[in-house]
Amino acid sequence: METADLSHHISRRFNADLERVRSKVMAMGGLVEEQLAKAVAALIDGDSNLGVAVARDDYKVNDMEVSIDEECQRILATRAPTAGDLRVIVAIIKTITDLERIGDEAEKIGYIGSRLASMERPADRYREIKHLGRIVGEMLHEALDTFARMDAEAAIQVAHKDRIVDEEYEAIQRQGITFMMEDPRNISRALDVMWVVRALERIGDHAKNICEYVIYVVHGKDVRHTRLEDVERELRDRGDNR
Amino acid sequence: MPLGVRAALYVALRVLAAAAVGVLLGLVFGRVWIGVAAALAAYLAWQLWLLVRLDAWLRNRRTADPPDVASGLWGDVITQVVRLHRRKRFHKDRVMRVLRELRRSTAAMPDGVVILNGENEIVWFNEKASEYLDLTRKVDYGLRIDNLVRMPEFTRYLQSGQYTLPAIIRVDPGDDRYLAFQLVSYGEGQRLLMVRDVSRRVSLEIMRKDFIANASHELRSPLTVISGYLETLASESGLPPDLAEPLAEMRRQSARMTGIIEDLLVLSRLESADGQVEGEPVDVGAMLATLRKDILARPLHPAKVELRVDSQAQLLGNETMLHSAFMNLVENAAKYTPASGSIGLRWWTDARGGHFAVSDTGPGIAAEHIPRLTERFYRVDIGRSRATGGSGLGLAIVKHALQRHGAELEIRSEEGRGSTFTCHFPATRVAQPVTRAASG
Repeated sequence: METADLSHHISRRFNADLERVRSKVMAMGGLVEEQLAKAVAALIDGDSNLGVAVARDDYKVNDMEVSIDEECQRILATRAPTAGDLRVIVAIIKTITDLERIGDEAEKIGYIGSRLASMERPADRYREIKHLGRIVGEMLHEALDTFARMDAEAAIQVAHKDRIVDEEYEAIQRQGITFMMEDPRNISRALDVMWVVRALERIGDHAKNICEYVIYVVHGKDVRHTRLEDVERELRDRGDNR
Repeated sequence: MPLGVRAALYVALRVLAAAAVGVLLGLVFGRVWIGVAAALAAYLAWQLWLLVRLDAWLRNRRTADPPDVASGLWGDVITQVVRLHRRKRFHKDRVMRVLRELRRSTAAMPDGVVILNGENEIVWFNEKASEYLDLTRKVDYGLRIDNLVRMPEFTRYLQSGQYTLPAIIRVDPGDDRYLAFQLVSYGEGQRLLMVRDVSRRVSLEIMRKDFIANASHELRSPLTVISGYLETLASESGLPPDLAEPLAEMRRQSARMTGIIEDLLVLSRLESADGQVEGEPVDVGAMLATLRKDILARPLHPAKVELRVDSQAQLLGNETMLHSAFMNLVENAAKYTPASGSIGLRWWTDARGGHFAVSDTGPGIAAEHIPRLTERFYRVDIGRSRATGGSGLGLAIVKHALQRHGAELEIRSEEGRGSTFTCHFPATRVAQPVTRAASG
């Protein structure tokens, strides 16, 4: 945690600026979490009003992204941060892009949810979506927790979960294909379900990205497009040598 | 300085004694000065040795025994140190014990407790809080609470600065867990955040609301049948004349019951969702003009119904809700004002927002009733309100409809002079007409 120690900065005003932006990112994360949970709940409970509300409220997420982006640019221009502080700002700029995308996916789920609400509910009441939705929701929550705590070890653990999400996604996809082959009348709804599952899978990817930014901030190492096992081994080796 | 003198005498005596031993030894061996020097050196070495032992003991005095120097200056020093040490340990133990008990009692509290500093950073929290809010001990000390508890409603509560009422927040839209948050300030900038699990209470509340909604709905259909038959019977010509009066009373009462059930349904619809309604522009002037016409169309109405629309601004809100709120207020005024009296309706806007007031020249309301007026079925005068046929729910509907618009109801009344009911809408709910903006 040597670089993540934000509390001992030379300039107190700079420190306050950084803390404020970080808090805004976490607030944006909270909003996105809520949007996702609401979107999934709207779909599962067949609540079209809630689905419409989620789609309508996406602008709030977008507004926050723009405002945080501006603040980051201001900090970069006026304070010219270096080393650990620079990495925090860079990670924030990347994180909000991912959060905004998650917001878009939630909007999509909300929209499809409001449309599916008027149709007959399937016998299993979208059990598989509920299950995947819970895993992805937890993953996003934990990813944001690691960001708040700047905890690289936990970030690696959370990033691992993306694999579970991918497996679930493939299983549901196979199941969907079976449904469609059984009865062509299922196709329309199965396609909608597929969109939702796809959106959830993408959210898992974005959450994993956020974890990678945390590792970047703490260890100063870009671990994108690297296998998690390699990342783990390398970070462990570095820890031993220190 | 008798103490200093004594110490000096003591030191001098010791050194002299050592020197005397040296002289004796020197006399024995024939070299006096070497004997004195050797004796003094030995004495010095002995003193230094004691000093080293004292130092060694002070370094790990928790485990080691004090050096066994019973008498003399060193003995005194060691006794003093041991006594000081013991007294310190006694106080420390006592403070630690009190602190441990305090922590244990806070930890055993059924509610979650988080101590925050002025910057909303976590100073300490108990077991329950870490369970409710998913906090990690030690790791999360010093982190901002709103970075870890990210529910948008919680962030809003934290930043609102108004902590008199707890905020009840649904943890996850997917399940039915509700937490109540309450902030309490104490000391300098320190704040206490209390967290309680209120899921059970909230679910009971939801059950109650559902029950009222369902019961009113179920009662409506049989009542429609009864009213329908009463209607038919009343228009029947061959009815015995002594049945006419009971039949009329039955029709009046069934109409009243229908009114109560309709109001209950409106109220349960208002309660079924909380939070602010979305804003769609509502033309208040036009709505009030219609309400005025409705009142004047009644067989019994106050002689004068005055309408003053001072602003062309529109109100952003739900038209149905606003209509039922305004209608209830206007109807109440008309009901309690004698035919010779007058009522006034007024809509105006200012910097603080939009305002709608209904004033009447009725009998007025005694001050002790005013705070309870918006309670369901609260009656100021049981006999009279039954006679006027109200449901007893009108003002409760007004209160709820206004709440959903972020508005407040202000009631002013003077017995014998009349009452004024004013709705204050916040400025965010007021939309100035476009024409004015274009000309200005």
